[in-house]
Amino acid sequence: MTALIELDRVSRTFHTPGGPITAVDAVSLAFDAGEAMCLVGESGCGKTTTGRLLTGLLRPTSGRLLYEGKDVWRTKGADLARFRRAVQLVHQDPYASLNPTRTVFQTLSAPLFRHKKARTSRQALASVNELLQRVDLTPPENFVTKYPHQLSGGQRQRVAIARALTVDPKVIVADEAVSMVDVSIRISLLNLLLALGREFGVTIVLITHDLAVARYFAREGRIGVMYLGRVVELADTESLVGDPAHPYSAALIGAIPEADPDITRSKKRVDLRSAEIPSLLRLPAGCTFHPRCPLSEAGLCDLKIPELLPVPTDREVACHVAVRERTAEQAATMA
Amino acid sequence: MSVLSVRGLSIDYLTRRGPVHAVRDVSFELEKSETLAIIGESGSGKTTLAVGLIRLSPRGTKVAKGEILYTKNGMTNDIRKLDDDDLREYRWAECAMVFQAALNSFNPVITIWEQFLDTARAHGLNDRRRVHDRAAELLDLVHLDAGRVLPAFPHELSGGMKQRVLIALALMLEPQMVILDEPTTALDILTQRSIIDLLRQLRQRLGFSMIFISHDLSIAAELADRMITMYAGRVVEHARVADMFYRPRHPYSLGLLRAVPRVSGALGSVASIPGSPPDLVRLPKGCTYAARCPYAIDACREADPPLLPVDTPQHEAACIRWQHVAEVLGSDAEIPVAEKLA
Repeated sequence: MTALIELDRVSRTFHTPGGPITAVDAVSLAFDAGEAMCLVGESGCGKTTTGRLLTGLLRPTSGRLLYEGKDVWRTKGADLARFRRAVQLVHQDPYASLNPTRTVFQTLSAPLFRHKKARTSRQALASVNELLQRVDLTPPENFVTKYPHQLSGGQRQRVAIARALTVDPKVIVADEAVSMVDVSIRISLLNLLLALGREFGVTIVLITHDLAVARYFAREGRIGVMYLGRVVELADTESLVGDPAHPYSAALIGAIPEADPDITRSKKRVDLRSAEIPSLLRLPAGCTFHPRCPLSEAGLCDLKIPELLPVPTDREVACHVAVRERTAEQAATMA
Repeated sequence: MSVLSVRGLSIDYLTRRGPVHAVRDVSFELEKSETLAIIGESGSGKTTLAVGLIRLSPRGTKVAKGEILYTKNGMTNDIRKLDDDDLREYRWAECAMVFQAALNSFNPVITIWEQFLDTARAHGLNDRRRVHDRAAELLDLVHLDAGRVLPAFPHELSGGMKQRVLIALALMLEPQMVILDEPTTALDILTQRSIIDLLRQLRQRLGFSMIFISHDLSIAAELADRMITMYAGRVVEHARVADMFYRPRHPYSLGLLRAVPRVSGALGSVASIPGSPPDLVRLPKGCTYAARCPYAIDACREADPPLLPVDTPQHEAACIRWQHVAEVLGSDAEIPVAEKLA
């Protein structure tokens, strides 16, 4: 079966005064319809650029973006318009992503008119009411005439999600969609996104730096971990958080503080050889993680770029050592 | 002996709509070498309180009532009554503050060395040689290379390095007390970890007291001895860290703990708190959390409950339904609340 949307060895290079920066380097990711998936990584890992490539807001320097098997950047006219409707982005900052001079009705009705989903104001109002109900802004009449400054951060983010829903998308990419809202309401926003996936079969890709959020959101799906422009591990969520294979994933999971004093004060840590994140302008040769990696082997990791390869039985990892060891372990248990 | 004793502190912001009661009747003690976490969400009054403790509140702020008593060498002073000279001495030399957003705390056009020199001069240290030695010693303490960092401008340092420099600067005059506002927010995970470990080491080595203000429960779990949760300007619960995490008695603390998923261990029953915080200008009658509280009864809407001991004398909650909360949680075992409710 072909995936609904797919990045096929996509790279994106930006030209800066300091030289070219490859923010995303040969990333391949495929998403099925209705899937809830998370991309996690620290700042500068390329997760936001990946989201922009996935939504067709950035053109890849090389590689292909496929939607329903078709190369998006080679389609035109009606096919391209269909992709634009089908794939929507929800931004991080609901304070910046909504036009402050427009009411909720104006914000939500504009795409309805633009895409001819509504022809009269009455039709638009009916649709807007329905959208507001879908994102739990009820009763809708309390919200249609409000301006963004009259709403809380969580309510604004719901309006931003409703806006993405105006065009009945098949894929929503949510970039740090909950990191700017209060802790106590994050889960309800994640639940809202998950419900959209379940009820309407929307594929949701959540981009986040917060592994706990990722674990909650993708608990029945997958997590992809990115480091310096590459996907270093792609695994089922519980396997990843319980038994990370890539040393970088392991370092992140060991380092993250937890809201539980007993666990957080006794966690197993991974000691990195260096705390310094290399500059994207001067990436290390071979595996870009090798200068920090406790498993690094001279003559291998500093020379050869590791491919993202499947390891038994539930994941793909881009690490020479982890792939070798896990494959050997598997062979040993089979024998 | 407490280093700091805050009694009945109330702080208002004067606005056109009327006074915003940002901090209401807050009392707590900070012991020597102790770490206290003040946890709350946006609008809970935590930052107003922190800034109020060193009297740096912006114009338009009114300390309506209360005392901030600071004790050193057996002498107790009310910070609210200090004159400008004594206040300058108290700030930084006695009580240093590390502000949120490390990037914005520096003067962007001078080097890190000059930032050290500026701070030293403001407190009467003019010997460049001695300031340099002290700066090098402090940077070493926060695991930075002084030779590289001192000549650098702020923009040349990473977020984590800037946060370390700020911590070093805060410690320059050997304060008894350090207040940190969101010390790890906006830092990457591995950097956050290194800052947490650093704060733990420094506290052990230098023995200062620490107050940190955060929305992030996990940093409290990491570092705090005691914890306060604030809601709508008030302290709603105050407890030792283990009691707060495993045996919360205020429904808001419980809700907040349950709203944060974990990476390790079972996920449990994670859930958001419905609704949003009240308007601080027109506070509702009775308990300000009642509108969002699943356990509220009619009596909750009558009077704002006082902060009273529950379970043990060291554990206080402002809730008349705390026994019911205890029943809902069932076990007192050291298990996260999301698991108890699963």
